Amino acid sequence: MLSSCTSKEPLPSKQYNFSLHIKVPFVPARSDLCGSTSIEMVASYWQSRTSYVPHLSRDELDGRTLIPAKGGTLQVELVATARANGLLVYPLDPTFDALFSELAKQHPVIVLLNRGYSWYPLWHYAPVTGYDEENQSILMHFSDRPNETMPVATFMSLWERSAHWGVVLLPPGHLPVGTSLNMFLRAAYDLEKTGMINEAIVAYQSALLHWPEEIDVFFALANAYYHTHQLNDAEQIYRKLLSFDSEHSMALNNLANLLCRTNRSKEALRLLGKAVTDDKEMQSIIKATREEIRDGCTPLSKI
Amino acid sequence: MNITKLILSLTLSMTLFVQVSWAQMASTEVIFKQSVTVSSKEKIVQFTAREDVVKILEQMDVDPKMIEKRIASMTDEEISKIAYQIETLPAGGSAIGSIVGAAVFIFIVLLITDILGFTKVFDFTRSVR
Repeated sequence: MLSSCTSKEPLPSKQYNFSLHIKVPFVPARSDLCGSTSIEMVASYWQSRTSYVPHLSRDELDGRTLIPAKGGTLQVELVATARANGLLVYPLDPTFDALFSELAKQHPVIVLLNRGYSWYPLWHYAPVTGYDEENQSILMHFSDRPNETMPVATFMSLWERSAHWGVVLLPPGHLPVGTSLNMFLRAAYDLEKTGMINEAIVAYQSALLHWPEEIDVFFALANAYYHTHQLNDAEQIYRKLLSFDSEHSMALNNLANLLCRTNRSKEALRLLGKAVTDDKEMQSIIKATREEIRDGCTPLSKI
Repeated sequence: MNITKLILSLTLSMTLFVQVSWAQMASTEVIFKQSVTVSSKEKIVQFTAREDVVKILEQMDVDPKMIEKRIASMTDEEISKIAYQIETLPAGGSAIGSIVGAAVFIFIVLLITDILGFTKVFDFTRSVR
């Protein structure tokens, strides 16, 4: 297979001997808008099961996803719009096994299929809603009927043409099954960068429950607290991080910055003295922080 | 259109400005990249890429009122992808409706092959052979 760089086998590694059905609310297809309806269906599923509330209306979903000249929605914009709707977007490993394990956890997956050929592509998004063991079929809200079935063999050949592209959309407090720390943090940080910092904080907090000793999670969470002026929480998390790694120069620098801005310059300077690094860029940040402490920091008010 | 652009430029410059005020902070970005901060050169490249994507979306008949929001919800990586690869990116559209398209497509293929004399499907064609 051309697109495969990994040794991962996209085909089912074994016979799955049980059926699955996720009760995803159905929205009938509208021309060129399968990106929008796919997001809407998965979002209302999470709304029906958790405290999650979608941020965007149907009109907004349509207006953010459709590119008229392309007659559809780019993967990039499906991801960006799902995020703007308040969901964490996690890329699925491109294998049937990964798909099945998310389904088994009751996580619907949006896949990109090519209903045509590579030389005559007909791209289509659909949420996968289950697996029918008896007929060896995939269930999807594919078009104008809920839970349409498609034989696994057909599904796999349509899915292969998108290099097995799929995404799991989750409310920020939930973790996907195939979780690598770095990919999860990436998805959460993408939320933070695109103006959904409160959702990102919830995601970092849930990551902390799963990886209670990972420095990177503490660092991301503390920074996010700091950016939202939740200074007590930020300080506490920086200190927790430093209790695991007392020489973490970036955390030392950021905490020193916080302490200075809350009128504790003495302790700030003492902490900064412990921040030693070979990284040139980091050295210049530490230098700038030291100068700021000396000149007096702009105070920050607590929320 | 110009007002949309003006508003967008303002929003983007404010984002840059806000980031600058955290210059003494090590960013979470470092977890994913080698770099501790985002350099101003990178910021300018990103700024122009965002302007390029505005133009691309305008040319592709996207509702001008939505462009600003769409751009704002994309990460730098997503912006770059659209700015440099838009022609080759797939766009998922419909589960139905393309049958007409396919029929037209097959019709044209058969029409051409008819004219070339490889097929004889339609009675109104005359082979060039």
